Amino acid sequence: MANVKGSSVCRTAVDEGKPADWVPGGEKQTVVDPMKMFHELPREMQFITGSEAARESMRRANIDIAIAYPITPQSESMQQAGYLYDEGYIKEYYRAEEEIGTFSAISGASRAGVRALTATSGPGLMRGMEAVSSWPGARTPIIMLNMCRVINTPLAIQPDNIEMSFLLNTGILLLHAENQQDFYDYPLAAIMASEQVDVTLPAVVSVDGFFCTHARGPVRITPEEYKLPPRDGWRSAVPAMDNENPPARISRDAPIQKSNFISYHMHASWQQEVFAAVERSAKYFDKYLGGLVEVINPDAEDFIIASGCAVSQAREAVRQEGEQGRIVGLVKVKTIRPFPTTSILNAVKNAKRILIPEFNQAGWLHKEVCSVLYGRCNAVIKDGPRVFGGMTMPTEMILEWLEEFRKETK
Amino acid sequence: MLIQDNLLLTRSNPSGNGGIQFLYRVKDYGLTAISGPQEEISMIHWEVEVVKYQNPKTAEFEVCHTTELADKTLKFYSDKSLNEFLQKSFQYFEELDSLEKMLPEES
Amino acid sequence: MSLENLRPTPAFADVLPIEYRDLVEHGPYTNRTGDGSKQTVKVTDMGKFKEVIEEHPMCAGCAMTLFIRLVYIGMPNPEHTIVVGTAGCGRLAISQASVPFIYGNYGDTNAVASGLKRGLEVRFPNQKKDVVVKAGDGGLIDIGFQGLMHSWFRKEKFTTIMLDNEVYGNTGGQESGMTNHGKVLKMAPRGKFGDKVDALGLAKVAGVDYIARLAPTNPARVARTVRRAIMVAREVGHSYIQAYTSCNIEYSIPTPDVMKDAFEIEKERYGFEEIISPAAKAYLDEVEKKPKKKKSD
Repeated sequence: MANVKGSSVCRTAVDEGKPADWVPGGEKQTVVDPMKMFHELPREMQFITGSEAARESMRRANIDIAIAYPITPQSESMQQAGYLYDEGYIKEYYRAEEEIGTFSAISGASRAGVRALTATSGPGLMRGMEAVSSWPGARTPIIMLNMCRVINTPLAIQPDNIEMSFLLNTGILLLHAENQQDFYDYPLAAIMASEQVDVTLPAVVSVDGFFCTHARGPVRITPEEYKLPPRDGWRSAVPAMDNENPPARISRDAPIQKSNFISYHMHASWQQEVFAAVERSAKYFDKYLGGLVEVINPDAEDFIIASGCAVSQAREAVRQEGEQGRIVGLVKVKTIRPFPTTSILNAVKNAKRILIPEFNQAGWLHKEVCSVLYGRCNAVIKDGPRVFGGMTMPTEMILEWLEEFRKETK
Repeated sequence: MLIQDNLLLTRSNPSGNGGIQFLYRVKDYGLTAISGPQEEISMIHWEVEVVKYQNPKTAEFEVCHTTELADKTLKFYSDKSLNEFLQKSFQYFEELDSLEKMLPEES
Repeated sequence: MSLENLRPTPAFADVLPIEYRDLVEHGPYTNRTGDGSKQTVKVTDMGKFKEVIEEHPMCAGCAMTLFIRLVYIGMPNPEHTIVVGTAGCGRLAISQASVPFIYGNYGDTNAVASGLKRGLEVRFPNQKKDVVVKAGDGGLIDIGFQGLMHSWFRKEKFTTIMLDNEVYGNTGGQESGMTNHGKVLKMAPRGKFGDKVDALGLAKVAGVDYIARLAPTNPARVARTVRRAIMVAREVGHSYIQAYTSCNIEYSIPTPDVMKDAFEIEKERYGFEEIISPAAKAYLDEVEKKPKKKKSD
């Protein structure tokens, strides 16, 4: 994008194929305090797809560079990013060669100290996992939108969030959007949290593909004349690789990659610090998202714990149970990393039965919940219903499971 | 955006196919409008059914193909055209309700 | 800015190690004009000034190390340069230089450099930052091939330098795409099947603006070639240097004969060659003629 204010080094509007008096969209926006954007600015209701919600989020996110490789169902969003680039809301943009190239390039961009965005889906994420799993250790704040889809053979484009389980132990901040509204709000919150000095980590906002990305839903959005503050490349746990600062030692010391006691120790402490930073991000998400979880009917004995689209289905199940005079509680898990252990423990302290519906075969959320509730909660935890490969989860399915669960566990 | 008059409930598509359902209610009748996901975003549309509610206190309903409004599932490709239909149907449901109230008296 | 980081606080200047003071006072940073038009630290003075890289854990007699030292001397503006590398012998030396080094994942150099360079352009619109990829033959032509080619197709404005030792040296001597046909190495017990990849030809087809092939037989020429490549990458497009940097261990070259081998290979099949696009040529003519113009004024 043109940097129209600068010296000979800058590209001009004309260089960008625009009229000489062209003003990039981003230049017309006003920077606003993130808390004001998240909680105070007036909001207008729009009925838009998840991909369009992502576009509106990107428009307000003050993105410096976006790089992506097209894959269904992500492509709807990243071609929208292309339009934002053309309008001057994103400063630099290109379609990369494939996902290893994409995720490597975006890490290069983040190392330059700029705000970098990418997006992918299922097989694309798998292809680029080597690069993705190296982001946290490199302490590169990056925002990645992840529109989940099947990764198993046979090849399919249907929704299935198994790929999120591959991100759980990377040191990446991981959010799971329930609907179009979350896919507008979460990226903005994730960007701000990931760039905090005591965090300095990449963040992924996952959403269940098609169900959200290719369907319309009500989204309350803030005025487009406001944008987030820019990334400050100087405020970072690890200096940007811009040759303006001495680089971090991990980039300088070849012996770290060799086999000796010092290298083991340095590597271990580096990893410990990454995962400690994940936990430190919780206070920012708590502030930006109004809590790491949302709890409905906190006094219930029967609880559903869910994330992503499963929350929407569970909401309706809770409502229908309410119509029948039965109170069922719901915990919506917004942040998968950091995992909201304390919030979940507090929410389900009176629960007798906990049901965990998921859109994947592995039941990764069930495993997560069990690992934190084991020995700390008296409830029986049941894994299911689970659908995958594009299968749907009708409300009746959850209602039947609840009924069965009550019979099994008195 | 669809009109909010007589809106009983909005919820995620209960079939689990993704998307959203708007439930409108006028007395015992109403409409369900579902907008689900499409591989081609330009093909996103509303699928609309006339429904008859089964319970005055809950949202239980059955699809009703016996009114003069519609004898099949209707498709709308814009919010505007659906909103026009909604206004028309609200008036129709009011009239239908008055007519149905008169019927038992006659018999 | 980075010079300020290097410069010691006056109160501490006299207690800092002599190596540090030498680097600041007599190193390549301060001895340059910064625009690449004038070079006051000369290759012929090697050994008389403090280099940005001196200590390293490379094998005795390694030609690659000599080449890497010359690259740093040739850099027109090391205080605003970032080097990107990948796994391989070279990074053991490169990471010891006082120029920031990104040691990325396997074969990701040219993708990382693409994002890095574009990011730096956004963040520093008034300060040219040079990005230089320095990676081995395997890192670029095998595992990094896709990223390499696409950075060329996109005409990304950075420099790629291939340290071509024609073998995977760091993993213990396996054949690479740049190994010559028939050469018996590990993983090629019957001799390598295919030919050495014609990376120069590929660069030419991809439209790289400045392409050079050389062996480190003429130190001044190495430094000049590096400078030209980086200057072209600043203003015109991509530049690529392919350097023969023999592996005396895996190719069993006696240490005293390393340079003799370099001369022989240069004569046989690795002669100095430059392929320069018209745009790059016009730019280099302009840059390199500047000092002469001043003299005639």
